[in-house]
Amino acid sequence: MRPRPFFLWFFLPSLAAAVLLVAALGEIAQYAFRVFTPGSLEVGGFTLDNFARLARPIYLSVLGDTLLISLATSLFTLLLSYPVAYAMVRAKSDFLRSLIMLLAVTPLFTGEIVRTYAWILVLGSNGFVNTVLKSAGLIGAPLGLLYTRFGVIVALVQFSMPVMIIILATALAHVDRNCERAAANLGAGPAQVFRHVTLPLTLPGVVSGTVVIFAWTMSAFSTPQLIGGGKVLMISNLVYLQGLSSFNFPFAAVLSLLALAVAMGSLGSMHPFVSRLELKAAIN
Amino acid sequence: MALRSAAVLAIGAMLLATAPVRAQDKLVVDIWGGNFRDGANEAIAKEFTKRTGMPVEFITGGTIDRLTKAKINRDHPESDVTVTTSHVGALYVSEGLFEKLDMAKLPNAKDLFPVAIRSPYHIGLYSYVYTPAFRTDLMPPGYDIKSWKDLWAPEAKGKLGLPDFDPSHIIIAAALLAGGNAENWKLGIPLLEQLKPSIKAFYQSDATSQDLMKSGETPVQVLLSINAFHQMQQGIPIKIAIPKEGAVVGIDAIGIVHGTKHLEAAYQYLNIALDPEVQAKLCGIYRCGAMNEKAKLDPELAKLPGVFTTPEQWKTQAIVVDDVTRAKLLPVWKDWFTENMMQ
Repeated sequence: MRPRPFFLWFFLPSLAAAVLLVAALGEIAQYAFRVFTPGSLEVGGFTLDNFARLARPIYLSVLGDTLLISLATSLFTLLLSYPVAYAMVRAKSDFLRSLIMLLAVTPLFTGEIVRTYAWILVLGSNGFVNTVLKSAGLIGAPLGLLYTRFGVIVALVQFSMPVMIIILATALAHVDRNCERAAANLGAGPAQVFRHVTLPLTLPGVVSGTVVIFAWTMSAFSTPQLIGGGKVLMISNLVYLQGLSSFNFPFAAVLSLLALAVAMGSLGSMHPFVSRLELKAAIN
Repeated sequence: MALRSAAVLAIGAMLLATAPVRAQDKLVVDIWGGNFRDGANEAIAKEFTKRTGMPVEFITGGTIDRLTKAKINRDHPESDVTVTTSHVGALYVSEGLFEKLDMAKLPNAKDLFPVAIRSPYHIGLYSYVYTPAFRTDLMPPGYDIKSWKDLWAPEAKGKLGLPDFDPSHIIIAAALLAGGNAENWKLGIPLLEQLKPSIKAFYQSDATSQDLMKSGETPVQVLLSINAFHQMQQGIPIKIAIPKEGAVVGIDAIGIVHGTKHLEAAYQYLNIALDPEVQAKLCGIYRCGAMNEKAKLDPELAKLPGVFTTPEQWKTQAIVVDDVTRAKLLPVWKDWFTENMMQ
């Protein structure tokens, strides 16, 4: 084969980025095996104690919460985003399509902190939801919406929706409408067409979107930090507390590696399930 | 050709000549950004430049960012003077990042409260307190805080906000209530566990502390006095308590970066920062307590709770923890707090 030096120029930056990433991960990994000395920035000799500490209930609980919140966020984001993406792709009017697109994507440009603060105003004791419910006489005392898993999931779902909508819209736009027309001609109603044709054909997008949002949420920091108010912790928050508050870089490194391993393990374990699902959809 | 060579030589000579001058003719101070930098510029840097003719440049960043950068750049320090929290200053000292101070070069240091001499390497610049405070309009009539124990009162249940980045204040207070102190803090653990139902949220920064107080989400807080003063100025009805056990003092300190090329100028900067008039001006901006006993604070500022102006106040109202003890115990406290009090 003839060498193609032109493509080498594309390969070199990737290689440089990969080397830097591996070096950074290597540095984190070596910290994980070092002794932490309170009151000093220097780490000591080799130890496995940092890993043994992970068995304490608090860390298992935070890990469980992180997985639960990530799973719930990806599923609710999917359920809420699919209709929006469907309406956006299938709208007959160009204006309506553009309007939905604009409304769906605009939140991406407001930034995570701004959006999170907006949710604090909505979910707070004197926030929008409680004020409306109190005015309607439905509640006597404010509902505790902030500093709960519910509040964190609501904010993360809204934060994730624009990305999911874009992924699903791409999948929906690639559906061959003739397949849907053929099903309709054969007597299928709109619900049946959606269930047996549209949904299976968009399954790759559904799966990609869910996996992306799951992995993204696993590393969420600002939203659980602000909406959770320390009452709901995810792994990233623990890394921050250990590394930047306690200067315990070895244990922060262990938590970072755990987060990485869990994210990769979760995505890996999803793979066989996803393959079966796609195969089943293809057969149907 | 000759003309071009001459031009290249001239430009080269200019570059060589200007680079060292630019590096030598200014004092670089690293400090937090925002109001901290502006205040230091207004009160200290302008006076320093007026007296010495040397400009001051500020490098800003968070506490940990700056410590990490100082450690990485220890052989080629980016700054000449560092301002940081005093117990973090102890980490700079243990890492050998500060110069040992020659007190003979700091004549203003003789008028400082004894507590200002944090170590032979760093000196307190101003003080503040972390203490209980509450919204008078959102707590039941008659609720007051005379002792740290009042945070455990039924009226405060589900209303308390605490910092997540530094639990030392509540841990020290619980230890004192249990008859202990910072070193034997574990005596306070049963009390701390009893406090758990009172905690509504943990705040991550000054901004979130203020948000939680302003919105009324946590109408009772252990907070930084400076934040409360700021909110009171905005008309938010907050009462700051100095409990009978005292308020936990925080001191921001100043030190000279080890290996600085501007040692004499750095000493002058420190001495000016400790000058009574400069201290009064600085504290007027930050709304904090001066370290120089001779500083004449504005009477309105001097009467604020936690702004200590006399040795008597320091003796009766202040809980001061040694920096090294705090630096060593803070990670331990933090771990215990995260594992047992949060979530």
